[in-house]
Amino acid sequence: MPKPPSPRELLPLTPPVFHILLALADEECHGYGIMQDVARQTDGALQLGPGTLYGCLKRMLAAGLVEESDERPDPALDDERRRYYRMTALGRHVVRAEAQRLAGAVTAAISKRLLDRGKPSLAGGRA
Amino acid sequence: MPNPMANRAPTSVNISRLCRIYSALLYGYPREFRLQYGGAMQQLFRDRCRDLARTPGRLSLLQFSLNLAADWFGSIVRERIASQSVEFLARQARAIWSAGRKQTPRGLVTEWALTIVVYLFATTTLVQAYVVPTGSMEGNVMIGDHMLVDRAAFANPGSLGRRLLPYHDVQRGDIVVFLYPEDIRQTYVKRVIGLPGDRIRLVDKQVIRNGRRLMEPYTQHMAWPPDAYRDGFPTAPEASTTPRGRDMFQHHVIHGEAIVPADSLFVLGDNRENSEDSRYWGFVPRNYVVGKPLIVYWSYDAPTADLEEWSLAHALDVAQHFFTKTRWERTLLVPRSQRAQETGSVE
Repeated sequence: MPKPPSPRELLPLTPPVFHILLALADEECHGYGIMQDVARQTDGALQLGPGTLYGCLKRMLAAGLVEESDERPDPALDDERRRYYRMTALGRHVVRAEAQRLAGAVTAAISKRLLDRGKPSLAGGRA
Repeated sequence: MPNPMANRAPTSVNISRLCRIYSALLYGYPREFRLQYGGAMQQLFRDRCRDLARTPGRLSLLQFSLNLAADWFGSIVRERIASQSVEFLARQARAIWSAGRKQTPRGLVTEWALTIVVYLFATTTLVQAYVVPTGSMEGNVMIGDHMLVDRAAFANPGSLGRRLLPYHDVQRGDIVVFLYPEDIRQTYVKRVIGLPGDRIRLVDKQVIRNGRRLMEPYTQHMAWPPDAYRDGFPTAPEASTTPRGRDMFQHHVIHGEAIVPADSLFVLGDNRENSEDSRYWGFVPRNYVVGKPLIVYWSYDAPTADLEEWSLAHALDVAQHFFTKTRWERTLLVPRSQRAQETGSVE
């Protein structure tokens, strides 16, 4: 097993990976739950398809950002083919580092008057 | 005329059908990826379909189809590249050269061959693209609609597709694409009015099926001069000009009604006064049915002649007016079956 990479090497994260980690920040989740959460986070702008989602999860598993969970928090709605994922300590570390990096970028954008403080403006293009 | 039936997301009937098609599409992925995540991906696909079915709207269906196509293609390429790094390709190439001494290189060749087979299967068995050059279905299918036809939908009895894929039998109200019986080089699209055993006649433009007047929400009528043959079928057999039309009048018109024979369909255009259909050339043999319209992928406002045969003038026209003459509102529209209401008996 290769040594897990340091969080710095993994930055910047691609948007799907970043949003998947955000979706897993609160609790473990299955694939469809992740997809719905990502759509909510981005106001529907990022709709992960099955192939993209599981492709990302495969790579995130390999990098040690997430791990598969055996627990079934929602047995009533469950299907045995559903796979649940949870974030690892490394994953939490990486998503925090990425959020800080983005926060730095946002601060810079505010100082250049591209963004109003607190509420991002979409008028000038896609945020 | 807006088509109210188009604003529907996949229904429960369609969901299992879509899921089976999607599971076939999964064969495009590398084997190990498919084995590991295929089940979960199917599950996710089904969940998504169910959610869409609960929140109708053409936009969501459109988005869903586009997303899915992009996702399928993009992630297949990505997984393929991931599973075949440069190093791996080099090893495969060496293995091909030294075939016989070592194990034969299965992975690369078989995996790509499988993708090509899935693609060919999809384009020949499942769907085929057609363009509609005439206005006999105007209102629901327009001149210049380019559409994909689902060839597996009405698989003929006994065919392989019928056992492998979801299908349902042709029903009254279905829009069908079929080979024109008088000249099978042409393909027509019409709506099914009569199934085997049905008795059909028209009285003053209204269809009477098995003695019951039909209320047909999908038809469109024109204020054209009355035509006894067209509006009062089958009362004036002498006007039928084609061999099959004459055969229908000779053998299948009894007591002023056309009786649909076994393994045949009686079809009419929605644009009743401007449609050459079963009234003129008789029944459609069941095995001439190609499929049903799946989705309009492009609708372009062009004259009939240009749509029947591509010309340089038409290519230039498309190049110049692509954005203005494309009917964007029809893009990704799904032509649907619609049932006629049967009203009181007139017998």
